[in-house]
Amino acid sequence: MANAMEIYQFLPKTNCKKCGKSTCMAFAVALLSREVTVEYCTPLKETKFKKNYEKLLEIVAPVEGSTETGLIVHEEKCFGCGNCVVACPVNVANDPQGVGIGRAPTNDKVILQVENGIVRASNIQECRRFGKNRILCNLCIITCPTEAIEFV
Amino acid sequence: MKLGKFLTAPEYRLMVVTYRDIFQSAALENSRFGEEYRKLSAVIRMDSKDIKKMGVTEGGTLVVKNSCGKVVVRVEKSAYDVPHQGVAYMPSSPWSNALVSADTGGTGVPKYKIIEVMVSDARGESITIIGV
Amino acid sequence: MVSCLNKNYYVCTGCALLCDDIEVEVSGDQITTIKTACRKGFSRIRGCIEPMPCIVNGKNVDINTAIKDAAKILKNADKPLIFGLGNSTSEAQKQAIKLAKRIDAFIDDTSSFCQGPTLEAILHGKIRTCTLDDVRNRADVIVYWGADPSNSHPRHLSRYSYFPRGEERQRGWEEDRTAIVIDVRKSHTAKICGDKFFQIPLHTDAFFIDALIDALSGKVPNMLFDYDIKNLLKLANILKKAQFGIIFEGFGIYNIEYMETMARLMGKLNEVSNFHLIPMVEHYNMRGFNQNLFEETGFLNRVKFKKCEKGFDVKYGVDYSIMEVLNTKKIDAALIIGSDPMSYLPRSAAEYLLEIPLVSVGPCENFTSRVAKVTIPSALSGVECGGSAVRMDGVKVRFEPIIKRARLSDEEILKRIIEAI
Ligand code: SF4
Repeated sequence: MANAMEIYQFLPKTNCKKCGKSTCMAFAVALLSREVTVEYCTPLKETKFKKNYEKLLEIVAPVEGSTETGLIVHEEKCFGCGNCVVACPVNVANDPQGVGIGRAPTNDKVILQVENGIVRASNIQECRRFGKNRILCNLCIITCPTEAIEFV
Repeated sequence: MKLGKFLTAPEYRLMVVTYRDIFQSAALENSRFGEEYRKLSAVIRMDSKDIKKMGVTEGGTLVVKNSCGKVVVRVEKSAYDVPHQGVAYMPSSPWSNALVSADTGGTGVPKYKIIEVMVSDARGESITIIGV
Repeated sequence: MVSCLNKNYYVCTGCALLCDDIEVEVSGDQITTIKTACRKGFSRIRGCIEPMPCIVNGKNVDINTAIKDAAKILKNADKPLIFGLGNSTSEAQKQAIKLAKRIDAFIDDTSSFCQGPTLEAILHGKIRTCTLDDVRNRADVIVYWGADPSNSHPRHLSRYSYFPRGEERQRGWEEDRTAIVIDVRKSHTAKICGDKFFQIPLHTDAFFIDALIDALSGKVPNMLFDYDIKNLLKLANILKKAQFGIIFEGFGIYNIEYMETMARLMGKLNEVSNFHLIPMVEHYNMRGFNQNLFEETGFLNRVKFKKCEKGFDVKYGVDYSIMEVLNTKKIDAALIIGSDPMSYLPRSAAEYLLEIPLVSVGPCENFTSRVAKVTIPSALSGVECGGSAVRMDGVKVRFEPIIKRARLSDEEILKRIIEAI
């Protein structure tokens, strides 16, 4: 996935505010965190931006096989040990009495859980790498014995 | 390093450390006689320098033997980032156990973990089949 | 089956962690989904593709015939051996001990060549131990010694020892716990522990422990082997500062001399801080066997029974260990329950099993059953039959079957063998 600067390069750079954001750069950031879609920027529909529009669609399209935050589970490497499940701060916050203390999830608000011996991602919009206040959290990666989780 | 007694491939002395592997354990629960378990068990993982020195090819087969027994297993490069020449790794399995001495020195506990062996190029000989 | 928050949980018998929070979805007599179990547990619960046949002398027979022939072999033997039971329920183990008494058998299990000495020291109260729940709630310094739980007990770190929050460990692993690996190779667990991995050269465990004891005592360690003293002091420092320390002792190291050294280390650690030890038992109920036999005889393995006037006489010692009875060809028949000595033992020792009549009981075919005279299929415990077992830390766990299939449990088979003798 591209960064905000790359996305910005393809925007009209007029700060017209039609998308609801105060600047084109702010729109680029919002686009990156999937808060908005390319369609929000109406000037892009003008013929002179046709190429930019297509390019942007391509940039923000999710990588195949990955979730919207770019999380990929390499199933063939996964031990199903659940380290990531228990180390994920969002999981702990959403299920303190289940995964927070190492046990099976007690609700379906968790992002990561193990099924049929392999970790599975859901509720991905809750991931700290996603949304407005996203951060480059990597706790599920550094606790994995085999690099089975990757963000692209 | 000693040369073989017979006109075979040269032999090299190695220490084999055995270990557990989750994929091998999972395969075992499924089938002890299956291809998967054999593939994950009958393998020796060596330092790439050792592999090169011996002139064998990765994915090829090696004769691993000592006074207790002999097996033919596949050779692979180990995934360790630190060099470990002279030491190789094998998952605990009937293949590694074929090389463990029955002599327990009066303790009743065989030395499963660290085994001294000689290895040589198996020259295409296929992996030892155990227990069919 | 434990009910909690309206969910039904089952116990995984894939290893001696006996994870009791497994959810399953079942359709007919097939388990379609298994939740929360690790890759190893998933594979265990799903079962094998080569079920144990019911065979006498290579011919398919009904179960009654197989049981009758098994009883005949054992009854006719002068010096039968009963071996295995690490993958059987405590109830089955008690029947096996009863049978051993009845037929004057040798009885032993895999602890004979792994963690026997450690478990013995623990059962005699010579080494301080604690439960895994204590570890989760309180441990701040966790040492995996010669152990790689990521591969052998995959949920160990996430369920109990490193990642979960606990009563006195609310802030999680990053701030509240230090996990250490001491091993001869950089295992997957070592990778997770980062710079808290202490790699020791082959065959130096005992020297390493002695040097560590010196460092803990404030003496200059006597480095009899090639190792960076700075690293050793760094390790000693972490151990000293532990509020609640735990050593998980793995498979890498164990024999009698070693145990004495380890006991000395534990003594020293408890002088300068607060340490406990739990052996990383592999088979789900090996510890159960050791405790059941201990209750009956005062010994946890390597036993030989002999009937006498006052009931029965018990002999114990290395001469009665599986390795030595095979090496000295002391037995003339064997009953193997849920185990595969042809695969676990040094090949040259196991070969003697080919010379004597074998009875093999278990859910799946294995290297030993393929050379047995009689094979008897039994229910896969934890999946097809319930019972109780002892977790690696000594906690008793009860479990219910997930699905009902027709196969008898080890316990029922052993009862019927006893009846037929
Ligand atoms: S860690 Fe052991 S008991 Fe827990 S799910 Fe895995 S195999 Fe089963």
